[in-house]
Amino acid sequence: MSASACNSPYCNQGWGELLSHLSPYGYANFGIAFGLGFSVVGAAWGIWLTGSSLVGAAVKAPRIRSKNLISVIFCEATAIYGVIMAIILANKIKKPETEGSYLPDNWDYNGMYFAGYGMFSAGLSVGLTNIASGVSVGIAGSSCAIADAQDASLFVKILIVEIFASALGIFGIIVGIIESNACTFPIAAMDN
Amino acid sequence: MSTPTGTHGGMAIFNIHHGFVEALVRGMRSSFLADADYHHITQCENLEDVKLNLTETDYSDALADMTSISPSDLQKVANEKLVTEFKYLRTQAVEPLSTFLDFITYEYMIENIMLLLKGALSGRNINELLASCHPLGMFKDSTMRSIPTFEPNSKGFADLYQTVLVDTPVGPYFAMFLQESSNAMGGEVRNVIEEVEIEIIKSSLIKYWLEDFAQYAEKLGGETAVMMGDILKARADTNAINITLNSFGTPLNEPAMRSSDRKRLYPAVGHLYPMGTSMLSDVSSEEELGRVLELFPQYASIWNIHAAGTDKSIDDAFYERDVQALELAFEGQMHYGVFYAYVKLKEQEIRNLVWITECILQAQKDEINKFVPVFSHHAPWRGAKAR
Repeated sequence: MSASACNSPYCNQGWGELLSHLSPYGYANFGIAFGLGFSVVGAAWGIWLTGSSLVGAAVKAPRIRSKNLISVIFCEATAIYGVIMAIILANKIKKPETEGSYLPDNWDYNGMYFAGYGMFSAGLSVGLTNIASGVSVGIAGSSCAIADAQDASLFVKILIVEIFASALGIFGIIVGIIESNACTFPIAAMDN
Repeated sequence: MSTPTGTHGGMAIFNIHHGFVEALVRGMRSSFLADADYHHITQCENLEDVKLNLTETDYSDALADMTSISPSDLQKVANEKLVTEFKYLRTQAVEPLSTFLDFITYEYMIENIMLLLKGALSGRNINELLASCHPLGMFKDSTMRSIPTFEPNSKGFADLYQTVLVDTPVGPYFAMFLQESSNAMGGEVRNVIEEVEIEIIKSSLIKYWLEDFAQYAEKLGGETAVMMGDILKARADTNAINITLNSFGTPLNEPAMRSSDRKRLYPAVGHLYPMGTSMLSDVSSEEELGRVLELFPQYASIWNIHAAGTDKSIDDAFYERDVQALELAFEGQMHYGVFYAYVKLKEQEIRNLVWITECILQAQKDEINKFVPVFSHHAPWRGAKAR
Protein backbone atom coordinates (compact mmCIF):
# COMPACT_ATOMS: atom_id res chain seq x y z
CA MET A 1 0.00 0.00 0.00
CA SER A 2 1.19 3.49 -0.70
CA ALA A 3 2.01 5.89 2.07
CA SER A 4 -1.21 6.92 3.69
CA ALA A 5 -2.79 10.19 2.71
CA CYS A 6 -3.64 10.79 6.34
CA ASN A 7 -1.05 12.88 8.21
CA SER A 8 -2.71 13.07 11.61
CA PRO A 9 -0.83 11.35 14.46
CA TYR A 10 -3.83 9.08 14.96
CA CYS A 11 -3.61 7.40 11.52
CA ASN A 12 -1.21 4.56 10.80
CA GLN A 13 1.28 4.73 7.97
CA GLY A 14 0.28 1.57 6.12
CA TRP A 15 0.74 -2.19 6.44
CA GLY A 16 4.37 -2.04 7.38
CA GLU A 17 3.69 0.05 10.43
CA LEU A 18 0.62 -2.04 11.32
CA LEU A 19 2.42 -5.37 11.17
CA SER A 20 5.46 -4.21 13.03
CA HIS A 21 3.38 -2.71 15.80
CA LEU A 22 1.36 -5.86 16.54
CA SER A 23 2.23 -7.18 19.93
CA PRO A 24 4.59 -10.14 19.95
CA TYR A 25 2.23 -11.82 22.40
CA GLY A 26 -0.43 -11.49 19.69
CA TYR A 27 1.86 -13.05 17.12
CA ALA A 28 2.75 -15.92 19.41
CA ASN A 29 -0.82 -16.73 20.30
CA PHE A 30 -1.93 -16.56 16.69
CA GLY A 31 0.87 -18.98 15.90
CA ILE A 32 -0.56 -21.41 18.40
CA ALA A 33 -4.05 -20.97 16.97
CA PHE A 34 -2.97 -21.46 13.38
CA GLY A 35 -0.79 -24.41 14.25
CA LEU A 36 -3.50 -26.24 16.08
CA GLY A 37 -6.37 -25.15 13.85
CA PHE A 38 -4.80 -26.00 10.50
CA SER A 39 -3.48 -29.30 11.79
CA VAL A 40 -6.93 -30.34 12.89
CA VAL A 41 -8.42 -29.21 9.56
CA GLY A 42 -5.92 -31.37 7.72
CA ALA A 43 -6.52 -34.36 9.97
CA ALA A 44 -10.29 -34.05 9.73
CA TRP A 45 -10.20 -33.69 5.97
CA GLY A 46 -8.03 -36.76 5.69
CA ILE A 47 -10.27 -38.85 7.93
CA TRP A 48 -13.29 -37.65 5.96
CA LEU A 49 -11.74 -38.82 2.70
CA THR A 50 -10.48 -42.16 3.90
CA GLY A 51 -13.32 -43.02 6.27
CA SER A 52 -16.05 -42.78 3.63
CA SER A 53 -14.18 -45.12 1.29
CA LEU A 54 -13.38 -47.49 4.13
CA VAL A 55 -17.03 -47.78 5.15
CA GLY A 56 -18.19 -48.28 1.58
CA ALA A 57 -15.59 -50.86 0.63
CA ALA A 58 -16.19 -52.81 3.85
CA VAL A 59 -19.78 -53.56 2.80
CA LYS A 60 -18.66 -56.21 0.32
CA ALA A 61 -15.36 -57.10 2.00
CA PRO A 62 -15.74 -56.91 5.79
CA ARG A 63 -12.25 -58.25 6.43
CA ILE A 64 -10.67 -54.88 5.62
CA ARG A 65 -12.29 -53.10 8.55
CA SER A 66 -9.60 -53.44 11.21
CA LYS A 67 -6.50 -53.27 9.04
CA ASN A 68 -7.53 -50.08 7.27
CA LEU A 69 -8.02 -48.17 10.48
CA ILE A 70 -4.27 -47.60 10.21
CA SER A 71 -5.03 -45.00 7.52
CA VAL A 72 -7.27 -43.19 9.97
CA ILE A 73 -4.55 -43.36 12.62
CA PHE A 74 -2.06 -41.80 10.23
CA CYS A 75 -4.45 -38.91 9.64
CA GLU A 76 -4.99 -38.55 13.36
CA ALA A 77 -1.23 -38.30 13.87
CA THR A 78 -1.18 -35.00 12.01
CA ALA A 79 -3.62 -33.57 14.53
CA ILE A 80 -1.40 -34.83 17.35
CA TYR A 81 1.57 -33.00 15.86
CA GLY A 82 -0.49 -29.83 16.00
CA VAL A 83 -1.37 -30.42 19.64
CA ILE A 84 2.26 -31.12 20.57
CA MET A 85 3.41 -27.91 18.92
CA ALA A 86 0.62 -25.93 20.54
CA ILE A 87 1.51 -27.22 24.03
CA ILE A 88 5.21 -26.50 23.55
CA LEU A 89 4.49 -22.99 22.35
CA ALA A 90 1.89 -22.27 24.99
CA ASN A 91 4.35 -23.16 27.71
CA LYS A 92 6.82 -20.63 26.38
CA ILE A 93 4.44 -17.68 26.64
CA LYS A 94 5.01 -16.11 30.04
CA LYS A 95 3.33 -13.15 31.63
CA PRO A 96 5.72 -10.31 32.48
CA GLU A 97 6.11 -9.59 36.20
CA THR A 98 6.14 -5.80 35.95
CA GLU A 99 3.70 -3.56 37.72
CA GLY A 100 2.11 -0.75 35.82
CA SER A 101 0.91 -0.59 32.23
CA TYR A 102 4.21 0.04 30.47
CA LEU A 103 7.25 -2.11 30.15
CA PRO A 104 10.43 -0.62 31.67
CA ASP A 105 13.10 0.82 29.41
CA ASN A 106 15.65 -1.92 30.04
CA TRP A 107 13.24 -4.60 28.91
CA ASP A 108 14.62 -7.26 26.55
CA TYR A 109 12.66 -5.99 23.55
CA ASN A 110 14.84 -7.89 21.10
CA GLY A 111 14.15 -11.17 22.81
CA MET A 112 10.46 -10.43 23.04
CA TYR A 113 10.02 -9.65 19.35
CA PHE A 114 12.23 -12.57 18.39
CA ALA A 115 10.05 -14.88 20.45
CA GLY A 116 6.82 -13.53 19.00
CA TYR A 117 7.80 -13.86 15.37
CA GLY A 118 9.48 -17.21 15.95
CA MET A 119 6.47 -18.76 17.55
CA PHE A 120 4.15 -17.43 14.82
CA SER A 121 6.30 -18.99 12.18
CA ALA A 122 6.62 -22.27 14.06
CA GLY A 123 2.86 -22.55 14.43
CA LEU A 124 2.24 -21.70 10.80
CA SER A 125 4.82 -24.16 9.55
CA VAL A 126 3.25 -26.99 11.51
CA GLY A 127 -0.29 -26.03 10.51
CA LEU A 128 0.22 -25.69 6.78
CA THR A 129 2.32 -28.82 6.40
CA ASN A 130 -0.24 -30.79 8.32
CA ILE A 131 -3.07 -29.70 6.00
CA ALA A 132 -1.13 -31.03 3.03
CA SER A 133 -0.13 -34.17 4.88
CA GLY A 134 -3.64 -34.87 6.12
CA VAL A 135 -5.27 -34.53 2.69
CA SER A 136 -2.54 -36.60 1.09
CA VAL A 137 -2.86 -39.42 3.61
CA GLY A 138 -6.64 -39.28 3.18
CA ILE A 139 -6.57 -39.74 -0.58
CA ALA A 140 -3.98 -42.52 -0.35
CA GLY A 141 -5.94 -44.17 2.45
CA SER A 142 -9.11 -44.13 0.39
CA SER A 143 -7.38 -45.89 -2.49
CA CYS A 144 -5.78 -48.29 -0.02
CA ALA A 145 -9.13 -49.37 1.40
CA ILE A 146 -10.65 -49.90 -2.03
CA ALA A 147 -7.61 -51.83 -3.31
CA ASP A 148 -7.42 -53.96 -0.19
CA ALA A 149 -11.05 -54.97 -0.68
CA GLN A 150 -10.14 -56.46 -4.07
CA ASP A 151 -6.70 -57.90 -3.40
CA ALA A 152 -5.31 -58.26 0.10
CA SER A 153 -1.68 -58.24 -0.98
CA LEU A 154 -1.94 -54.62 -2.08
CA PHE A 155 -2.50 -53.26 1.42
CA VAL A 156 1.10 -53.15 2.61
CA LYS A 157 2.35 -51.66 -0.64
CA ILE A 158 -0.10 -48.78 -0.60
CA LEU A 159 0.59 -48.28 3.11
CA ILE A 160 4.15 -47.31 2.14
CA VAL A 161 2.70 -44.49 0.05
CA GLU A 162 0.79 -43.32 3.10
CA ILE A 163 3.90 -43.45 5.27
CA PHE A 164 5.67 -41.11 2.90
CA ALA A 165 2.67 -38.82 2.88
CA SER A 166 2.55 -38.62 6.65
CA ALA A 167 6.27 -37.82 6.74
CA LEU A 168 5.32 -34.39 5.45
CA GLY A 169 3.73 -33.59 8.78
CA ILE A 170 6.85 -34.69 10.62
CA PHE A 171 8.90 -32.21 8.59
CA GLY A 172 6.65 -29.45 9.82
CA ILE A 173 6.92 -30.29 13.47
CA ILE A 174 10.71 -30.79 13.31
CA VAL A 175 11.21 -27.36 11.82
CA GLY A 176 8.72 -25.90 14.27
CA ILE A 177 10.51 -27.31 17.29
CA ILE A 178 13.92 -26.18 16.10
CA GLU A 179 12.58 -22.72 15.42
CA SER A 180 10.78 -22.29 18.68
CA ASN A 181 13.63 -23.65 20.81
CA ALA A 182 15.33 -20.30 21.09
CA CYS A 183 12.13 -18.38 21.69
CA THR A 184 11.43 -17.39 25.25
CA PHE A 185 9.46 -14.43 26.43
CA PRO A 186 11.26 -12.34 29.06
CA ILE A 187 9.46 -11.97 32.35
CA ALA A 188 11.57 -9.38 34.11
CA ALA A 189 13.66 -6.41 33.08
CA MET A 190 17.30 -7.01 32.31
CA ASP A 191 19.69 -6.36 35.16
CA ASN A 192 22.29 -4.24 33.45
CA MET B 1 -22.12 -28.23 3.87
CA SER B 2 -24.70 -28.05 1.10
CA THR B 3 -24.58 -30.58 -1.69
CA PRO B 4 -22.67 -29.22 -4.63
CA THR B 5 -24.27 -28.69 -7.99
CA GLY B 6 -22.31 -28.85 -11.18
CA THR B 7 -18.99 -30.57 -11.00
CA HIS B 8 -18.06 -33.21 -8.49
CA GLY B 9 -14.60 -32.01 -7.56
CA GLY B 10 -11.23 -33.61 -8.02
CA MET B 11 -9.27 -35.93 -5.79
CA ALA B 12 -9.36 -33.81 -2.66
CA ILE B 13 -13.12 -33.28 -2.38
CA PHE B 14 -14.75 -36.09 -4.40
CA ASN B 15 -14.95 -38.42 -1.41
CA ILE B 16 -16.81 -35.92 0.69
CA HIS B 17 -20.10 -36.57 -1.07
CA HIS B 18 -19.46 -39.61 -3.21
CA GLY B 19 -16.81 -41.55 -1.31
CA PHE B 20 -19.20 -44.06 0.19
CA VAL B 21 -21.11 -44.78 -2.99
CA GLU B 22 -17.98 -45.10 -5.10
CA ALA B 23 -16.41 -47.47 -2.57
CA LEU B 24 -19.64 -49.51 -2.64
CA VAL B 25 -19.54 -49.98 -6.38
CA ARG B 26 -15.84 -50.81 -6.27
CA GLY B 27 -16.55 -53.46 -3.66
CA MET B 28 -19.17 -54.86 -6.03
CA ARG B 29 -16.42 -55.33 -8.60
CA SER B 30 -15.47 -58.48 -6.74
CA SER B 31 -18.88 -59.95 -7.48
CA PHE B 32 -18.09 -60.51 -11.16
CA LEU B 33 -17.52 -64.11 -12.20
CA ALA B 34 -13.85 -64.95 -12.49
CA ASP B 35 -12.05 -67.02 -15.08
CA ALA B 36 -12.23 -70.06 -12.83
CA ASP B 37 -15.99 -69.68 -12.46
CA TYR B 38 -16.51 -69.47 -16.20
CA HIS B 39 -14.28 -72.49 -16.60
CA HIS B 40 -16.37 -74.53 -14.16
CA ILE B 41 -19.65 -73.45 -15.67
CA THR B 42 -18.69 -74.21 -19.24
CA GLN B 43 -17.68 -77.71 -18.20
CA CYS B 44 -21.13 -78.45 -16.78
CA GLU B 45 -23.28 -81.07 -18.40
CA ASN B 46 -26.68 -79.83 -17.32
CA LEU B 47 -28.28 -76.81 -15.75
CA GLU B 48 -28.37 -78.29 -12.26
CA ASP B 49 -24.59 -78.37 -12.25
CA VAL B 50 -24.54 -74.77 -13.40
CA LYS B 51 -26.74 -73.80 -10.49
CA LEU B 52 -24.48 -75.70 -8.11
CA ASN B 53 -21.42 -73.88 -9.41
CA LEU B 54 -23.13 -70.54 -9.25
CA THR B 55 -23.94 -70.99 -5.57
CA GLU B 56 -20.24 -70.59 -4.87
CA THR B 57 -20.16 -67.19 -6.49
CA ASP B 58 -21.90 -63.97 -5.57
CA TYR B 59 -25.13 -65.32 -7.07
CA SER B 60 -25.72 -67.73 -4.19
CA ASP B 61 -28.30 -65.56 -2.45
CA ALA B 62 -30.11 -64.75 -5.65
CA LEU B 63 -30.37 -68.39 -6.70
CA ALA B 64 -31.35 -69.71 -3.29
CA ASP B 65 -35.09 -69.44 -3.95
CA MET B 66 -35.01 -70.83 -7.44
CA THR B 67 -36.43 -74.30 -7.84
CA SER B 68 -36.18 -74.78 -11.57
CA ILE B 69 -33.43 -73.22 -13.58
CA SER B 70 -33.76 -72.19 -17.19
CA PRO B 71 -31.91 -69.52 -19.14
CA SER B 72 -34.79 -67.05 -18.94
CA ASP B 73 -35.22 -67.64 -15.21
CA LEU B 74 -31.53 -67.15 -14.67
CA GLN B 75 -31.64 -63.94 -16.64
CA LYS B 76 -34.57 -62.68 -14.61
CA VAL B 77 -32.91 -63.47 -11.29
CA ALA B 78 -29.59 -61.96 -12.33
CA ASN B 79 -31.35 -58.83 -13.59
CA GLU B 80 -33.18 -58.47 -10.30
CA LYS B 81 -29.89 -58.76 -8.43
CA LEU B 82 -28.41 -56.01 -10.60
CA VAL B 83 -31.47 -53.83 -10.05
CA THR B 84 -31.32 -54.28 -6.27
CA GLU B 85 -27.68 -53.26 -6.25
CA PHE B 86 -28.36 -50.29 -8.52
CA LYS B 87 -31.25 -49.09 -6.38
CA TYR B 88 -29.04 -49.33 -3.30
CA LEU B 89 -26.47 -47.13 -5.03
CA ARG B 90 -29.15 -44.74 -6.19
CA THR B 91 -30.60 -44.22 -2.71
CA GLN B 92 -27.17 -43.45 -1.31
CA ALA B 93 -26.29 -40.95 -4.04
CA VAL B 94 -26.55 -37.16 -3.86
CA GLU B 95 -26.44 -34.59 -6.64
CA PRO B 96 -24.88 -34.57 -9.17
CA LEU B 97 -24.34 -38.31 -8.96
CA SER B 98 -28.07 -38.97 -8.62
CA THR B 99 -28.76 -37.22 -11.93
CA PHE B 100 -25.99 -39.26 -13.50
CA LEU B 101 -27.51 -42.51 -12.24
CA ASP B 102 -30.92 -41.39 -13.47
CA PHE B 103 -29.45 -40.88 -16.93
CA ILE B 104 -28.41 -44.52 -16.91
CA THR B 105 -32.02 -45.55 -16.25
CA TYR B 106 -33.50 -43.39 -19.02
CA GLU B 107 -32.23 -45.83 -21.62
CA TYR B 108 -34.28 -48.60 -20.04
CA MET B 109 -37.31 -46.35 -19.77
CA ILE B 110 -37.18 -45.72 -23.52
CA GLU B 111 -36.85 -49.44 -24.17
CA ASN B 112 -39.81 -50.24 -21.93
CA ILE B 113 -42.07 -47.64 -23.54
CA MET B 114 -41.18 -48.92 -27.00
CA LEU B 115 -41.79 -52.49 -25.84
CA LEU B 116 -45.24 -51.57 -24.58
CA LEU B 117 -46.14 -49.73 -27.78
CA LYS B 118 -44.93 -52.54 -29.98
CA GLY B 119 -46.75 -55.07 -27.84
CA ALA B 120 -49.92 -53.03 -28.07
CA LEU B 121 -49.64 -53.05 -31.86
CA SER B 122 -49.37 -56.82 -31.96
CA GLY B 123 -52.03 -57.24 -29.32
CA ARG B 124 -50.12 -59.01 -26.58
CA ASN B 125 -51.44 -59.28 -23.04
CA ILE B 126 -50.62 -56.28 -20.90
CA ASN B 127 -49.45 -58.31 -17.91
CA GLU B 128 -47.11 -60.33 -20.06
CA LEU B 129 -45.67 -57.13 -21.45
CA LEU B 130 -45.20 -55.64 -18.01
CA ALA B 131 -43.39 -58.77 -16.85
CA SER B 132 -40.90 -58.49 -19.70
CA CYS B 133 -40.12 -54.84 -19.08
CA HIS B 134 -36.71 -54.00 -17.70
CA PRO B 135 -37.01 -53.27 -13.96
CA LEU B 136 -34.67 -50.30 -14.03
CA GLY B 137 -36.93 -48.35 -16.33
CA MET B 138 -40.30 -48.76 -14.71
CA PHE B 139 -42.72 -45.96 -13.99
CA LYS B 140 -45.72 -46.14 -11.73
CA ASP B 141 -47.92 -49.14 -12.48
CA SER B 142 -50.84 -46.96 -13.59
CA THR B 143 -48.60 -45.10 -16.00
CA MET B 144 -47.21 -48.29 -17.45
CA ARG B 145 -50.66 -49.78 -17.91
CA SER B 146 -51.99 -46.72 -19.65
CA ILE B 147 -49.32 -46.68 -22.36
CA PRO B 148 -50.61 -49.55 -24.52
CA THR B 149 -54.15 -48.23 -24.34
CA PHE B 150 -53.42 -45.38 -26.74
CA GLU B 151 -54.33 -45.83 -30.37
CA PRO B 152 -51.41 -46.78 -32.57
CA ASN B 153 -51.77 -43.87 -34.94
CA SER B 154 -50.49 -40.34 -35.12
CA LYS B 155 -53.22 -38.77 -33.01
CA GLY B 156 -52.83 -41.49 -30.40
CA PHE B 157 -49.11 -40.93 -30.20
CA ALA B 158 -49.48 -37.19 -29.79
CA ASP B 159 -52.07 -37.82 -27.08
CA LEU B 160 -49.78 -40.34 -25.40
CA TYR B 161 -47.08 -37.72 -25.25
CA GLN B 162 -49.34 -34.96 -23.94
CA THR B 163 -50.98 -36.97 -21.20
CA VAL B 164 -48.48 -39.57 -20.05
CA LEU B 165 -44.97 -39.09 -21.36
CA VAL B 166 -44.60 -35.40 -20.75
CA ASP B 167 -44.35 -36.04 -17.01
CA THR B 168 -41.73 -38.72 -17.32
CA PRO B 169 -38.00 -37.92 -17.39
CA VAL B 170 -37.80 -39.10 -20.99
CA GLY B 171 -40.54 -36.70 -22.08
CA PRO B 172 -38.11 -34.18 -23.58
CA TYR B 173 -36.73 -36.83 -25.93
CA PHE B 174 -40.23 -37.57 -27.24
CA ALA B 175 -40.87 -33.87 -27.60
CA MET B 176 -37.71 -33.48 -29.65
CA PHE B 177 -38.64 -36.47 -31.77
CA LEU B 178 -42.12 -35.18 -32.49
CA GLN B 179 -40.72 -31.74 -33.24
CA GLU B 180 -38.14 -33.07 -35.63
CA SER B 181 -40.59 -35.37 -37.39
CA SER B 182 -43.12 -32.63 -37.84
CA ASN B 183 -40.39 -30.33 -39.15
CA ALA B 184 -39.30 -32.91 -41.65
CA MET B 185 -42.87 -33.47 -42.80
CA GLY B 186 -43.45 -29.78 -43.19
CA GLY B 187 -45.45 -29.18 -40.05
CA GLU B 188 -47.67 -32.22 -40.21
CA VAL B 189 -47.62 -33.86 -36.81
CA ARG B 190 -50.58 -36.03 -37.74
CA ASN B 191 -48.71 -38.23 -40.14
CA VAL B 192 -45.83 -39.05 -37.88
CA ILE B 193 -46.61 -42.57 -36.86
CA GLU B 194 -48.10 -43.89 -40.02
CA GLU B 195 -44.86 -43.71 -41.95
CA VAL B 196 -42.39 -44.33 -39.16
CA GLU B 197 -41.77 -47.69 -37.57
CA ILE B 198 -41.29 -48.35 -33.92
CA GLU B 199 -37.64 -49.31 -34.36
CA ILE B 200 -36.84 -46.03 -36.00
CA ILE B 201 -38.58 -44.14 -33.21
CA LYS B 202 -36.50 -46.08 -30.72
CA SER B 203 -33.26 -45.30 -32.58
CA SER B 204 -34.13 -41.61 -32.60
CA LEU B 205 -34.94 -41.58 -28.90
CA ILE B 206 -31.73 -43.39 -28.01
CA LYS B 207 -29.87 -40.86 -30.11
CA TYR B 208 -31.35 -37.95 -28.15
CA TRP B 209 -30.62 -39.70 -24.89
CA LEU B 210 -27.00 -40.30 -25.89
CA GLU B 211 -26.48 -36.68 -26.86
CA ASP B 212 -28.08 -35.46 -23.65
CA PHE B 213 -26.00 -37.82 -21.55
CA ALA B 214 -22.77 -36.86 -23.33
CA GLN B 215 -23.55 -33.20 -22.78
CA TYR B 216 -24.16 -33.81 -19.08
CA ALA B 217 -20.89 -35.70 -18.73
CA GLU B 218 -19.05 -32.84 -20.45
CA LYS B 219 -20.59 -30.41 -18.01
CA LEU B 220 -19.38 -32.50 -15.07
CA GLY B 221 -15.85 -32.05 -16.30
CA GLY B 222 -12.70 -33.61 -14.96
CA GLU B 223 -12.06 -37.30 -15.07
CA THR B 224 -15.75 -38.09 -15.57
CA ALA B 225 -15.92 -36.11 -18.80
CA VAL B 226 -12.86 -37.91 -20.14
CA MET B 227 -14.01 -41.43 -19.25
CA MET B 228 -17.69 -41.06 -20.11
CA GLY B 229 -16.80 -39.16 -23.25
CA ASP B 230 -14.85 -42.15 -24.51
CA ILE B 231 -17.47 -44.68 -23.51
CA LEU B 232 -20.41 -42.77 -24.95
CA LYS B 233 -18.56 -42.04 -28.16
CA ALA B 234 -17.95 -45.74 -28.59
CA ARG B 235 -21.64 -46.38 -27.95
CA ALA B 236 -22.74 -43.74 -30.45
CA ASP B 237 -20.48 -45.14 -33.14
CA THR B 238 -21.76 -48.66 -32.49
CA ASN B 239 -25.30 -47.36 -32.96
CA ALA B 240 -24.45 -45.53 -36.15
CA ILE B 241 -22.75 -48.54 -37.71
CA ASN B 242 -25.55 -50.89 -36.64
CA ILE B 243 -28.22 -48.58 -38.04
CA THR B 244 -26.41 -48.48 -41.35
CA LEU B 245 -25.83 -52.22 -41.42
CA ASN B 246 -29.41 -53.05 -40.50
CA SER B 247 -30.84 -50.66 -43.04
CA PHE B 248 -29.50 -52.60 -46.02
CA GLY B 249 -32.42 -54.35 -47.63
CA THR B 250 -35.05 -52.18 -45.97
CA PRO B 251 -36.78 -49.10 -47.34
CA LEU B 252 -34.43 -46.99 -45.26
CA ASN B 253 -31.65 -47.76 -47.71
CA GLU B 254 -33.34 -46.05 -50.64
CA PRO B 255 -31.31 -43.09 -51.88
CA ALA B 256 -34.13 -40.68 -51.09
CA MET B 257 -34.49 -41.95 -47.55
CA ARG B 258 -30.77 -42.16 -46.81
CA SER B 259 -29.96 -38.52 -46.50
CA SER B 260 -33.29 -37.50 -45.00
CA ASP B 261 -34.30 -40.28 -42.65
CA ARG B 262 -31.26 -42.44 -42.03
CA LYS B 263 -28.92 -39.52 -41.54
CA ARG B 264 -31.22 -38.17 -38.86
CA LEU B 265 -30.69 -41.31 -36.81
CA TYR B 266 -26.93 -40.90 -36.42
CA PRO B 267 -26.00 -39.41 -33.03
CA ALA B 268 -24.22 -36.10 -32.87
CA VAL B 269 -21.48 -37.51 -30.65
CA GLY B 270 -18.80 -40.02 -31.35
CA HIS B 271 -15.57 -40.47 -33.22
CA LEU B 272 -17.50 -40.86 -36.45
CA TYR B 273 -19.24 -37.53 -36.04
CA PRO B 274 -19.28 -35.37 -38.16
CA MET B 275 -17.11 -36.60 -41.01
CA GLY B 276 -17.84 -40.27 -40.67
CA THR B 277 -21.59 -39.98 -40.32
CA SER B 278 -21.90 -37.78 -43.37
CA MET B 279 -19.96 -40.40 -45.29
CA LEU B 280 -22.08 -43.15 -43.80
CA SER B 281 -25.26 -41.49 -44.92
CA ASP B 282 -24.27 -42.10 -48.54
CA VAL B 283 -23.41 -45.74 -48.07
CA SER B 284 -25.69 -48.18 -49.82
CA SER B 285 -24.01 -51.55 -49.52
CA GLU B 286 -21.61 -53.47 -47.34
CA GLU B 287 -18.58 -52.83 -49.56
CA GLU B 288 -19.09 -49.11 -49.40
CA LEU B 289 -19.54 -49.36 -45.64
CA GLY B 290 -16.27 -51.25 -45.43
CA ARG B 291 -14.52 -48.57 -47.48
CA VAL B 292 -15.78 -45.83 -45.19
CA LEU B 293 -14.77 -47.71 -42.06
CA GLU B 294 -11.26 -48.33 -43.39
CA LEU B 295 -10.58 -44.69 -42.70
CA PHE B 296 -11.10 -45.16 -38.97
CA PRO B 297 -8.50 -47.51 -37.50
CA GLN B 298 -10.49 -48.82 -34.55
CA TYR B 299 -13.48 -49.65 -36.71
CA ALA B 300 -11.40 -51.04 -39.54
CA SER B 301 -10.34 -53.94 -37.35
CA ILE B 302 -13.91 -54.59 -36.20
CA TRP B 303 -15.18 -54.43 -39.77
CA ASN B 304 -12.53 -56.88 -40.92
CA ILE B 305 -13.80 -59.38 -38.38
CA HIS B 306 -17.26 -59.04 -39.88
CA ALA B 307 -16.04 -59.11 -43.46
CA ALA B 308 -13.92 -62.19 -42.88
CA GLY B 309 -17.12 -64.04 -42.09
CA THR B 310 -15.72 -66.10 -39.25
CA ASP B 311 -17.80 -67.33 -36.34
CA LYS B 312 -17.42 -64.05 -34.51
CA SER B 313 -20.22 -61.72 -35.39
CA ILE B 314 -19.86 -57.98 -35.52
CA ASP B 315 -21.92 -57.72 -32.34
CA ASP B 316 -19.35 -59.82 -30.50
CA ALA B 317 -16.56 -57.61 -31.78
CA PHE B 318 -18.42 -54.54 -30.57
CA TYR B 319 -19.03 -56.15 -27.19
CA GLU B 320 -15.36 -56.93 -26.85
CA ARG B 321 -14.40 -53.36 -27.65
CA ASP B 322 -17.00 -52.09 -25.17
CA VAL B 323 -15.76 -54.37 -22.38
CA GLN B 324 -12.22 -53.12 -22.92
CA ALA B 325 -13.33 -49.49 -22.63
CA LEU B 326 -15.57 -50.15 -19.62
CA GLU B 327 -12.89 -52.04 -17.70
CA LEU B 328 -10.69 -48.96 -18.02
CA ALA B 329 -13.22 -47.02 -15.99
CA PHE B 330 -12.30 -49.15 -12.98
CA GLU B 331 -8.65 -48.24 -13.29
CA GLY B 332 -9.00 -44.69 -12.02
CA GLN B 333 -10.66 -43.39 -8.89
CA MET B 334 -12.79 -40.36 -8.10
CA HIS B 335 -15.02 -40.21 -11.17
CA TYR B 336 -18.52 -41.33 -12.13
CA GLY B 337 -17.56 -43.60 -14.99
CA VAL B 338 -17.45 -46.61 -12.67
CA PHE B 339 -21.20 -46.53 -12.12
CA TYR B 340 -22.05 -46.69 -15.81
CA ALA B 341 -19.32 -49.27 -16.35
CA TYR B 342 -20.64 -51.46 -13.52
CA VAL B 343 -24.16 -51.58 -14.95
CA LYS B 344 -22.97 -52.32 -18.47
CA LEU B 345 -20.41 -54.93 -17.43
CA LYS B 346 -22.98 -56.69 -15.28
CA GLU B 347 -25.28 -56.75 -18.29
CA GLN B 348 -22.48 -58.32 -20.30
CA GLU B 349 -22.03 -60.94 -17.60
CA ILE B 350 -25.77 -61.71 -17.65
CA ARG B 351 -25.59 -62.07 -21.45
CA ASN B 352 -22.67 -64.46 -20.97
CA LEU B 353 -24.58 -66.56 -18.44
CA VAL B 354 -27.63 -66.77 -20.71
CA TRP B 355 -25.44 -67.75 -23.67
CA ILE B 356 -23.68 -70.47 -21.70
CA THR B 357 -26.88 -71.92 -20.27
CA GLU B 358 -28.57 -71.86 -23.68
CA CYS B 359 -25.62 -73.71 -25.18
CA ILE B 360 -25.75 -76.31 -22.45
CA LEU B 361 -29.50 -76.66 -22.83
CA GLN B 362 -29.26 -77.15 -26.58
CA ALA B 363 -26.15 -79.30 -26.27
CA GLN B 364 -24.05 -77.13 -28.55
CA LYS B 365 -20.77 -77.36 -26.73
CA ASP B 366 -18.61 -76.05 -29.54
CA GLU B 367 -20.35 -72.68 -29.46
CA ILE B 368 -20.08 -72.31 -25.74
CA ASN B 369 -16.87 -70.30 -25.59
CA LYS B 370 -18.15 -67.45 -27.67
CA PHE B 371 -18.73 -65.07 -24.82
CA VAL B 372 -16.73 -62.08 -23.66
CA PRO B 373 -15.63 -62.54 -20.04
CA VAL B 374 -15.38 -59.49 -17.83
CA PHE B 375 -12.16 -58.68 -15.98
CA SER B 376 -10.54 -61.75 -17.39
CA HIS B 377 -6.82 -62.28 -17.06
CA HIS B 378 -6.79 -63.89 -20.48
CA ALA B 379 -8.29 -60.92 -22.27
CA PRO B 380 -6.35 -60.05 -25.42
CA TRP B 381 -5.66 -56.54 -24.23
CA ARG B 382 -4.03 -57.66 -21.03
CA GLY B 383 -0.98 -59.05 -22.72
CA ALA B 384 0.25 -62.56 -23.07
CA LYS B 385 1.23 -63.30 -19.51
CA ALA B 386 -1.52 -64.78 -17.37
CA ARG B 387 -1.32 -64.37 -13.61
